Amino acid sequence: MRYQNATAYRFLAPYLLIFSIFWLWPIIDSFLISFQATRTVPWRFAPGFNWGRLIGDPAFFNALKNTLLILVIQVPVMITLAIVMAVLLNSPLLKARGLFRFAFFAPVVVGEVAYSAVFRLMFNLDYGIINKLLNSVGLPSIDWFSNVTPAMAVIMIAVTWRWAGYNAIILLAGLQSIPQDVYEAATLDRVSKVKQFFYITLPLLKPIIVFCAVLSIIGTMQLFTEPFLITERGGPGGGTETLGLLLYRQGFRSLNFGYASAIAYTMAGLAIAISLVQLWLTREPK
Amino acid sequence: MAGVSLNNVVKRFGDFEIIHGASLDITDGEFVVFVGPSGCGKSTLLRMIAGLEDISGGEIAIGGKVMNDVEPADRGIAMVFQSYALYPHMSVEQNLSFGLRMNGNPKADTDRRVKRASEILRITELMARRPRQLSGGQRQRVAIGRAIVREPQVFLFDEPLSNLDAELRVQMRVEISRLHKELGTTMIYVTHDQIEAMTLADRIVVLRGGHVEQIGRPLDLYSDPDNQFVAGFVGSPKMNFITARVLERGASGVTVELAGGTRLTQPLKGPAPEPGSKVVVGVRPEHFGHAGKGDADLSVTIDVVEHLGGTSFLYASTAAGDDIVIQRDAAEVSDAPEITVSVRKSYLFDDKGRRLR
Repeated sequence: MRYQNATAYRFLAPYLLIFSIFWLWPIIDSFLISFQATRTVPWRFAPGFNWGRLIGDPAFFNALKNTLLILVIQVPVMITLAIVMAVLLNSPLLKARGLFRFAFFAPVVVGEVAYSAVFRLMFNLDYGIINKLLNSVGLPSIDWFSNVTPAMAVIMIAVTWRWAGYNAIILLAGLQSIPQDVYEAATLDRVSKVKQFFYITLPLLKPIIVFCAVLSIIGTMQLFTEPFLITERGGPGGGTETLGLLLYRQGFRSLNFGYASAIAYTMAGLAIAISLVQLWLTREPK
Repeated sequence: MAGVSLNNVVKRFGDFEIIHGASLDITDGEFVVFVGPSGCGKSTLLRMIAGLEDISGGEIAIGGKVMNDVEPADRGIAMVFQSYALYPHMSVEQNLSFGLRMNGNPKADTDRRVKRASEILRITELMARRPRQLSGGQRQRVAIGRAIVREPQVFLFDEPLSNLDAELRVQMRVEISRLHKELGTTMIYVTHDQIEAMTLADRIVVLRGGHVEQIGRPLDLYSDPDNQFVAGFVGSPKMNFITARVLERGASGVTVELAGGTRLTQPLKGPAPEPGSKVVVGVRPEHFGHAGKGDADLSVTIDVVEHLGGTSFLYASTAAGDDIVIQRDAAEVSDAPEITVSVRKSYLFDDKGRRLR
């Protein structure tokens, strides 16, 4: 048995080697780097240097506030929208179901740069379609990218557009796993369709909803593309800077890898903590 | 309580007709079993009575009232599903009371009904459990309990025992029979298992390919089948069918020759097929006797013997290659590879499977 295990590990060795060098070691090394002062060469061990700075850095708290704000508003809106889309996609009344499923899923496939460019054009102050639509119903144009609140709204709308369909497809798979005869039993029990949704569909879909929520939380904690490309590096004036963007700015523009590593570990820690709280709050009663 | 009547009921899915004009009257308090092979339309017919499937033609009435366009919940029926269809996220108590609670039924009445159902089905100690914490038999009880709390006029069972193991199936069969005696409510039960049909039913409806083949009391179907399909479907092991040829019609009946030369004369009141035409002789396994003690003797080669204790089944083949099963008392079974048996009672079917009486 031991010999067989050894043989198996020998076969696994090439993978384990590459995995260790390019995945495991960077994770460990970045953790070690977070305890080093990296603004000057040579780097030196200074445990409080980055972690201490984190606690008092207004830029970090600004990025944290922005990230959490997007998380708190965008994730629930997107999940709700995804549930509605999944229910509609699951409806036997819907024609051309395959086409709609593809259409809702398609945003994930679109290149990030392309979709960001389209969003910038759509929300352009002078000739964007969104302002044109607002004007057509008598509302004034909004300068989406010069003010913080509209800029945050654009990011939330963009992220929701991109990922709602993806979550809807996951939720659809969950919906389809609910046996039809449970609904038939409820119909015989004179339970209305609306009550069936709230008392049967939602509770039975809960594990999938939690799964989507955790995925979305992790994704939002790492949010980078949209504030980088759509609101031009977290603009206006850092108003949409997220933790992911701050990490990039510190690590790859200021080449301050120690601080960037500390931010990265904070992001991961927060994502794990929020996900655990979420799982605990929605746990199945024994 | 109420009776159910089906009048020329038709079901079509697009251009495809599944039920071809079924008619049936079920009296109040009767236990009727729909039986037939897979795809015969028995579950579809039950779901049409429940209102879960639209009716393409004809009429379904419950308690004398036509129900074609009545919502399932307003038909006064309760249904027990094959897969139980319990709400997995609710406790047994919540499963039983869900429908009543959702409809604003007074709490005291809901509690009373749930308590009564749980006592009838002996599940009072399971009330706090979730369906996943129950065994198959317990789940089935809860599913039946959910039907009982509705206090319906008619119970509909859609193959309720097919997911249970053999021992539990027998146990639940007895439970359902007891329940029918206790409640006295009309019950319609769908199964493909003819033993369930024989043991539970007041009357059996045998279906095949969307047609009602025969309706009757279990023993009537067994002893007086209308056609070869019913004869073969009812009874276990099934009736043996031996091909034969009509020789002549005499005063005492029609004489046929079984492949292998054995001659058999059957009394016949109706018209007889032309001499020379093909017929099928049906013999139940228990209707083979010892040589010389029946209407005709038949030599067979024994292939396999199954000893079930008191009874044994001899799987044999005739000289013409017809496979037959012979039932014998275990003590009477010898090791002889070839034996001669007599046909004590037989049925005659024409080449279209119709009974010749």
